[in-house]
Parts: sequence; structure tokens; C-alpha cells
Amino acid sequence: MSTVANPAIKDRFTPKSFGEGVVRYAVIIALAGVFAFFSFATSTFLTSANLASILVNNFTLLAIIAVAMTFAVSAGGIDLSVGTAVDFASFAFVSLVLSGHSVGLAVIAALASGAIVGLVNALLIAGVGITPFLATLGTLFIGRSAQQLLTNGGNPVYLPQTGIPPLFGFIGHGHILGIPVPLVIVGLLIIAASTLLFSTRFGRVVLAIGVQQSVARYSGLRISGHIGLVYVISGFVAALAGIILTSTVSVYIPNSGNAFMLNAIGATFIGTTLSREGRPNVPGTVLGVLLLSIVANGLLLTGLSFYWQQVGTGLLIFIVLAASFLNRSSRSD
Amino acid sequence: MSSATETGNLALALRQLVKHFNGVQALSGATLEVERGTVHGLIGQNGAGKSTLIKILAGLYQPDEGTIEIDGVTHERLTAHDVEKLGIHFIHQDRLLVPSFTVGEALFLGREPRLAGLPFLDRRAIRRQAEKILDKYFGLKLPANALISELTTAQKQIVQITRALLDKPSILVFDEPTAALVRREADILFDLIRRLRADGITIIYISHYLNEIEALCDRATILRNGKDVSTVDPRTTSAAKIASLMVARDIEEMFPKTAATIGKPALTTNALTKAGKFRNVSLNMREGEIVGLTGLLGSGAKDLVRVLFGLEAADSGEIVIEGENGRPRSPAAAVARRLALVPEDRRGDGVALGLSVAENTTLASLKRFTRFGFLQSNREHSEVDRLIEQLAIKTNGRFAPVRTLSGGNQQKVALAKWLSRQSSLYILDEPTVGVDIGSKVEIYNLIGKLAERGAAILVLSSDLPELVGITDRILVLYRGVVTREFISSETTPDAILAEATGALDLRSGEHRNVV
Repeated sequence: MSTVANPAIKDRFTPKSFGEGVVRYAVIIALAGVFAFFSFATSTFLTSANLASILVNNFTLLAIIAVAMTFAVSAGGIDLSVGTAVDFASFAFVSLVLSGHSVGLAVIAALASGAIVGLVNALLIAGVGITPFLATLGTLFIGRSAQQLLTNGGNPVYLPQTGIPPLFGFIGHGHILGIPVPLVIVGLLIIAASTLLFSTRFGRVVLAIGVQQSVARYSGLRISGHIGLVYVISGFVAALAGIILTSTVSVYIPNSGNAFMLNAIGATFIGTTLSREGRPNVPGTVLGVLLLSIVANGLLLTGLSFYWQQVGTGLLIFIVLAASFLNRSSRSD
Repeated sequence: MSSATETGNLALALRQLVKHFNGVQALSGATLEVERGTVHGLIGQNGAGKSTLIKILAGLYQPDEGTIEIDGVTHERLTAHDVEKLGIHFIHQDRLLVPSFTVGEALFLGREPRLAGLPFLDRRAIRRQAEKILDKYFGLKLPANALISELTTAQKQIVQITRALLDKPSILVFDEPTAALVRREADILFDLIRRLRADGITIIYISHYLNEIEALCDRATILRNGKDVSTVDPRTTSAAKIASLMVARDIEEMFPKTAATIGKPALTTNALTKAGKFRNVSLNMREGEIVGLTGLLGSGAKDLVRVLFGLEAADSGEIVIEGENGRPRSPAAAVARRLALVPEDRRGDGVALGLSVAENTTLASLKRFTRFGFLQSNREHSEVDRLIEQLAIKTNGRFAPVRTLSGGNQQKVALAKWLSRQSSLYILDEPTVGVDIGSKVEIYNLIGKLAERGAAILVLSSDLPELVGITDRILVLYRGVVTREFISSETTPDAILAEATGALDLRSGEHRNVV
């Protein structure tokens, strides 16, 4: 068969040519490029203090939310309401701590709130059959209004400086074996999420649904249940970001989670370029987040205005996805 | 060029048309000559090239070779716009009418009467004209304000025809117009077509149904394998003769058929009915049996398969699978009862092109390779490698995306998925469409082996020589009813085709009921 005599297939990890390698590893090359650029362009970028700050301040929250997004995108959908899950988790967390409940209970309530936001999406998408984009957009809008109603039009809920259990601040500011707690949480999440999506039956079914849903259906797989679970997981994971965010800044600011949504989508799709078949994958997503984090931090250090940061981010996403598109269209010949 | 007197009588002549699609030859020198003022039938099996020919006439495809002559004028290229200007109109049930439009709006789309030169629609004028036309041509009081979405298929067709008639067409092309009509509606349509002919309009009538061609057409051109094999007068040519012209007789294929031991009942249906699709279907399949099922487009065969596999619900009747009574409510429920479906749309439903050979192969049987929720890749991969070898799937390893495989090897992957699932009841829908001849024989062999091992296999195919070659017996569905069962070794493709096209309807003079 002439159609199968394609040498690129034999070894999945070796690109056929130098050009293909460049587009294939566009994320890593871009990562090295921006890293080198900011190291030379600014005196402060390449300092251990700044690099640590990138990880804790820029990377952590976006990484968690982007992993949540990766679940939805893996199943062929999208979750525009990840920020809503962040906010509801944050609100639940602050409210319970304020009313004197234990931090442990507050964490559980926060995770449950995120999962409930996901459950609403699950019911709309898997139950009613609304497309993920519109269903999660609806959840985003309803969530926004609900938060304004809950907070008298969007007033932040502050925690007092004293009388709060020390465990509360530990989540955002503490260290375990010298590693900041948020980084520990992100690390564990990355391992758990990539294992779940890559090595389990659940992950394989989600992949099949995302790649070609009708084949999954014709293979006797239960579509609705899996899709529903994906959105619950997405909300649950995003809730982790809400907990860390709240613990770091000691305040719940209504509708603050939505700021992460677009970057999370960007990072997820940048990450798909790492896979030969263009599949969403957790390691790729994490690299995408790292790339966006370095760009945001570096541009800040160069003294460019906030608005130029957005332009920089946009250009990067554009370049990486364009490279990957070229890669895929050349491969299908 | 032919002389003027010869072409003067021809409304249309498509000559020696050749058309390739990605190396597949859809037309290999097809000719269609239609005399002015006649009803001309175009008939042929699925894949004979009817739709390619018509799409060339419609200006949707450009032929690689051949000439198009309309009213004695030869055209190098035709665009859809040219065709409409030449007065050729197409009535096709897939041709979409905007569902949210009213009848009047749909009729006048693109030529709306305007209010005294202003850019506003004159809705009252639209309504009045529409009702007048419908009344004149059809004696119908179809309210022009009704929404398209509220109409029946037959009514939508009337709207389409009316829309064409507004343009005073010279040629009307009907593409499988009765596929979704009940008998009474079809009779009305035939009447209308005869009246249009009397008005001097040339009609091209495409159909699977031999009896319609026989009842309606002055001439009929038979297509086979992208070529016209004959043009006949259907009123003097027997249906059996036309059927035999439609079926390829020159390809002698090898059908390996081994005798399998017939075992316990595997699948039984009792009076299975789905309104508008099929009714009172009673099947009885045993282990080791290969049963063929055939019928034309709209015969209900596809719907029956969808119901058996839980993709759609039946209205009444029983499905008994391996002694267990109950209609599957979902594909998951069907698969749990060891049912397997290799669907006709291989690239849409059968295999996931973006997944690897391994991922596709184990998709229906992941539980076998799962422990505490984790996939055991070693066991998964050794099973995949075993199946790649057993089915001789030509691939660059188990991780190659199925996209990179040929059609025949993709189909083997679709089959391997169910072998890995250890299914016992296989439904194969057009299992060898788009498959090269070598893989075809391999697939036939595999079907035979499955039966030997005790599987029951239901094969749907419009390739009748194939069906006769590989099955034990064949059921024919005609307009929703199983009309006849053939013993494969005692029948011919011609006899089956005659049954499937309803040619026997005419011979016996009896009218079968329609769902």
C-alpha cells in the first residue's frame, strides 16, 4: 500500500525533517526564545527571585485553570465558565471561614461549589444537548449576575487581619520542604490530571469523544456520562485556583476569575501543538502556561504598558498555532 | 458535430462524459441524449454514476472530458447560474427550502415583488401570486402563509416544482422524487409529470424504481460503472431485461464461501415496526448464519439496522438477542449484548481517523485492558498486534493514525474493533464499499471465518453479486416490508434486483401496500 509507506509514522517522536521539527516543537523553541530574549533585554529577568515570582505569581493560577480547560477541550468542547467556578469556590471559601467554620470544611465547600458550576454545565451539555460553547457561556453570564446579587452589586468580601486560622494563609503563602504550597498543589494536579487523561480508560474514552464523537457512540461508549463528568472535573479543578487565589490575597473579589479564561484557552491550544496529532494534553498545556507567564512577566519588566502585554500574548498564540497549522497541513499531503 | 436535423430534436445531449475524483473514475464515457418533449428515465445501481452525471448537468461539477449540448448549442463550461438561465431546473428532495420561510417567500426567493420600486417586499402581492400559481398547477389551496417547516415532504416538493415552473423551464430534472413519498402522493406526482410533458416540457426522471420508469418514461438510459450501457423503450423492454442490464455481469469475483454449522437462534425480531420506515419485520438468524439484507434507498433497510443497534427506537415489535428479549435502547446497550455494527459511513462512524490503529481497535473493548481504571498498555498492544496480523492490516505499526491507511485497511480496523470486543452478532453495512478488490476478498474470508466460529452475521449490501456470493440467504425489503426471502445458492442478482426495485409489482399487476 503506497498510502501507508509513510516513514513519519514509524517513530512517533522523530520529526521527518528539520523544518517539521521546528514547527513541531514550536512551543519549546518559543519558550527558549522568549527566555533568552528577556534575559538579555532586562537586568532583572534572570534572577532567582524573579524566576520564583513567575512560578508563584504568574504560573500557578493559570496552570490550574488551563488544566481544567484541557479536560473540556479534550472532550471536544470548551469551558468558558472556568472563571465562574474559580469565583464561586472563592466565595464559598471566604464565606465559610468568615462565619467561623474550619478551613478544612471551607476547602471542601469551595471544591464542591466549583464542581456544582461544572454540574450545571454537564446537565446543559450532556443532558439538554446545548453545545459546550453556548452552555458554558450561559453559565458564565448567570454566574456573573449571581455574584453581583450576592455581593450587593460586586463589593469585595474582605477577611479581617486577625482571628483567621493560620491554615488559611498557609495555602497561599506556606512552604512544604521549602517549596511554596501553591506549587506543590499545581505539581500534584499536573501529575494527577495527565495520568487521568493519558493512562486511564476514562481518559481514552474522553479522547475518542473529543476526536470523533460518533465513532465513540457507535463503539458502544457512554457519551453523555463521560462528557458530563469532564465538565464536573473542570469546575472542580478550577475551584483549586479559587482557593489558592483567596488564600493569597485574603479577599473575594466578585468576577475576578474570568480574567484567566482567555489565557487558559490560549495555553491549552498552544499545548496541542506539542502532540503530533494536535491533541490537547496536560504537559503541553503546562508549557503553554509557562510561555504565557514568562511573556507577561518579561514584558512587565521591560516597562511596556499592560496593553502591550496583551498584544504580545496574542502574537505568541498566533505564531505557535500558525506553525502547528502549517505542520499539520503539510503532514496530511 | 452532428447535423442540424439530428440535433434539432434533442433537447439535451451529454456525450462521452468522463469524470475522476481523486483517482476514482465516477464516469467513464457516459452519454445521455434526451429528445424534446419526452420523459426520459435515468436508471442504475448505487455508484453507477447517476448523481455525477446530473451534477455535471447542474453545473456543479466540470467533466474531465466530453461535450454538453443543450438545444443544439455546445457548452464548454456550465455554471449553476448558466444552467438556470438555460431553463433547466432540478427537483431534488435534498434541495433545501429554508424552513423558516413561508410558502410565498420560498416561491419568490430571489425575485420578490417589490412595493412600487421601493426596497420593501410587497408581502400581499407575494401571497396572492403564490396562491394563484398553486391553484392553477395543482388545484391546491396551500396557504401561502404556511411555513415550509409545517409542510409534508410531498407539499415541499410541490413548492419546489412550482418555483421551477415560475421560470417557464424547458427541462425539468426529477432526482429520486418518490423516495420519501407515499403511494398516493407519488401517483399525484406522476399525473403532474404527464401534464408537464403535454405542455411540451422535457423531463429527466432519475429513479431506482423500475416500475416507475416503466409507468412513466418514453425512453430510459441505463448506467453501469460510469457508462451508459443501453437506452431502451421501457414500455416494450421487460423489467428483467432492464435489471440485468443494471447489474454488472462481466466481473467474475471470487466469493469464498465455507459451510458453517448452524447453531442456536442468535437474533430474532417479531413484527418489528417503525412508522414511516418499516413494518412487521420478522427476522430469524442463527449462530453460524450469514444473512443478506438488501433494498433500495428508502426501503427501510438502513432504518432497520439503526433500530437493531439501538441508534433509533422502534415503535413496536420484539428484538430477541441470544434468547434475551428487549429492544436495545442505545448502542451501548446493544454492544453490551455482544452486537457489533460496521457502519456504512466508515470515515464518519466506523473508525476515528485521528486515532491510531491501536486506539481504534480497542475502543469497544477497553474494559478488557483496564485494571482499577488504568489501561494496561502491554496487554492492549499485544492484542492489537495479534489482530493486525490476523486480519493482515497493512499499517506502519499500531501507532499509525488510521487516516494514513487505505480504505480496505481502515475497514479491517473497523472489523478488528469488534473482534477485540468478542462480539457474537455482526451487522455489516456495505462492508466493501470503497474497498480495493484484494481487501474485499480478505473481508469475505473473514466474514466466513467469523461464521465458522459461531457468529451470526447480517450483511447489508447493494452490491448484489457480492450478496449472493457470500450469504446463505437474502431478505429483500421493498418500501418497508420484507417482500421475499431468497436462498443465495438458488438465486441470481437479477432476480433480487427485480424484487428490490418492485419490477414484480407490475408483472403480477398487484399493488403492494406502502408504509
